[in-house]
Amino acid sequence: MLKAMLKKEFILILRDKHALAALFIMPSIFILIMSMALKDTFSSDRAFIHYAIVDQDKSPISFEIASSLRASATLQESEQTITDQKQLQQALNSGLHFALTIPSGYSAQFSQEKSNRLLRLDVASDVKQDMLALFKGELSGILMRLRVKNMLQELESMLPGITEQSEAAMLNNKELEVHFNALEENQSPTSTQQSVPSWIVFGMFFIIIPMSTIFINERKQNTLMRMQSMNVSIPLLFTGKIVPYMIINQLQVWLMIAVGIFIVPLLGADALTLGNSLPGLVMVSTGLSLAAIGTSILIAVSVNTVEQATTIGGLVNILFGAIGGVMVPKFFMPPGMQTLSNISPMSWGLEGFLDVFLRNLGAGEVLFESLALAGFGIVLLLTAWLIFANRTKNGL
Amino acid sequence: MIHITSLTKRYNGKPALKQLNMDIGKGVIFGLLGPNGAGKTTLISILNGLSNFQEGEIRIFDLPLYDNLKEIRRRCTLIPQSLALYEHLTVIENLRFFAGIQGIVGTALRTNLDYAISVNRLDKFLEQKAATLSGGQKRRLNIAIGLLNSPEILYFDEPTIGIDPESRNDILETIRTFKEDKKTVIYTSHYMEEIEKICDEAAIINNGEIIRQGSLQTMLQENNDPSMTLESLFIRLTSQDTSNA
Repeated sequence: MLKAMLKKEFILILRDKHALAALFIMPSIFILIMSMALKDTFSSDRAFIHYAIVDQDKSPISFEIASSLRASATLQESEQTITDQKQLQQALNSGLHFALTIPSGYSAQFSQEKSNRLLRLDVASDVKQDMLALFKGELSGILMRLRVKNMLQELESMLPGITEQSEAAMLNNKELEVHFNALEENQSPTSTQQSVPSWIVFGMFFIIIPMSTIFINERKQNTLMRMQSMNVSIPLLFTGKIVPYMIINQLQVWLMIAVGIFIVPLLGADALTLGNSLPGLVMVSTGLSLAAIGTSILIAVSVNTVEQATTIGGLVNILFGAIGGVMVPKFFMPPGMQTLSNISPMSWGLEGFLDVFLRNLGAGEVLFESLALAGFGIVLLLTAWLIFANRTKNGL
Repeated sequence: MIHITSLTKRYNGKPALKQLNMDIGKGVIFGLLGPNGAGKTTLISILNGLSNFQEGEIRIFDLPLYDNLKEIRRRCTLIPQSLALYEHLTVIENLRFFAGIQGIVGTALRTNLDYAISVNRLDKFLEQKAATLSGGQKRRLNIAIGLLNSPEILYFDEPTIGIDPESRNDILETIRTFKEDKKTVIYTSHYMEEIEKICDEAAIINNGEIIRQGSLQTMLQENNDPSMTLESLFIRLTSQDTSNA
């Protein structure tokens, strides 16, 4: 009996080109677009802060500031020449983030306790606070090193060789080593590793539309009722829906992983690296699948028309995604929103996938998320069962 | 075959069927007549175990309905008014699916498929998607699905709605062949001439009550009026019943 139901469900999906596009092509495109779009945000290789220096001082100090800024990996000096206020404004309106003006006479007062020649930083209006803090931090570090160097030069007469020793120490002294949690030495998270899990989660919930469409058509045409008159029970009917869509969800997961591993690098972004736990991955995806299927069947049994299912299903998907950190990563959210995001099953699924892909955790560590997702799905399926039984108790 | 005693069904306290009594024998084509909302479809739903009832007793094949629902369903079939099939499956895929969910396999599958296909003359359309069939062909597929379990009782709920006269005649002819196979048919319809054409017995239901029941011949002869048709009898009885109510 179940075999016939599975076969029927697969044939119906395979013949629905729109459903196939929504289930497999759309999430893959999302992964490609988002991996490319966020590539630079996660990359440590490319500068993403653009600045210009207006050097009115033309002194060894101003040259040293400029060369130190140029050495920073996150900063990119603009080749624009800025000589007046008009040019400055034009540059800031066309992609330049910062313009640092070193006033004439700055170096003369550099070592003095009080100086009336201050550096001036013009900032583009769309620059965020964290970018400003980053630039200011970089600049402060450079100025601090220059001041120390000046002081050491003054001490040179009393302690010969101190400048040379200190400079060598400063050059060799690597004071900070960055290690990303659970990643290997010199490895850092990539945009692909951040975006693939998000869009896998989102894509798995796309089953709401085809699944509820088929179910509502079956109910409206009395096909479900006919099946009941042929001794097909509600649990068997639901199983006939759950199993094929679980298989489809697994196909989606592996297709999107394949896109992350093989297609994304062809477009210049980093390839997806899988974690070390296949059981963990299967556990999270199975739990997530149950949650998505439970949501789909609950919507399908609760609404009356395909149009209602499409609208409500789409809304639920977007809301779960927006709250759950799929569209905007959770670490960008304020603390209140981060707490709120925990109500979305997509958030549990996303955390589970990030545990496996990004944090290299295993089955034990994703057990809670997997069980929570499965529990959520089962509660929705039981609710759907009650609603469906109630709606069909009065026959044809 | 079917014995109904004092059957009462209420929807939210409102009676839909009131103290219904009915006996339908083997090999009979039995017509259920009544205006919209009279209770015909409710009765069909109850007889198929799709809807419950509050009072009375139903025995089918001499078995109490709810204690033997699986067994009774296995030997009956419901052909609903709506086209309860899959438009995106081919004719043969539809037939195989509905046979599959009833656990019909092997020789039984081959025999029953052949019977369902030949009786409904679907041989030429087996590989065609149901969506591409004409209205009449779809209706025939709807009936063919109902024949897959080789049923002893067939419940037809308005099977000829929305099709052309030629296809309707085809379907009526098909239903008539079931009598030769000693199958019992319960047939609901709005079309009096259909009931007159194929049924041996009938019951006229109005407001959940049976207002006349028996052989068609007896019903039509009861007033000694040779011009009496089922339609005029139906109109007279249902209008009387409404004015009495």
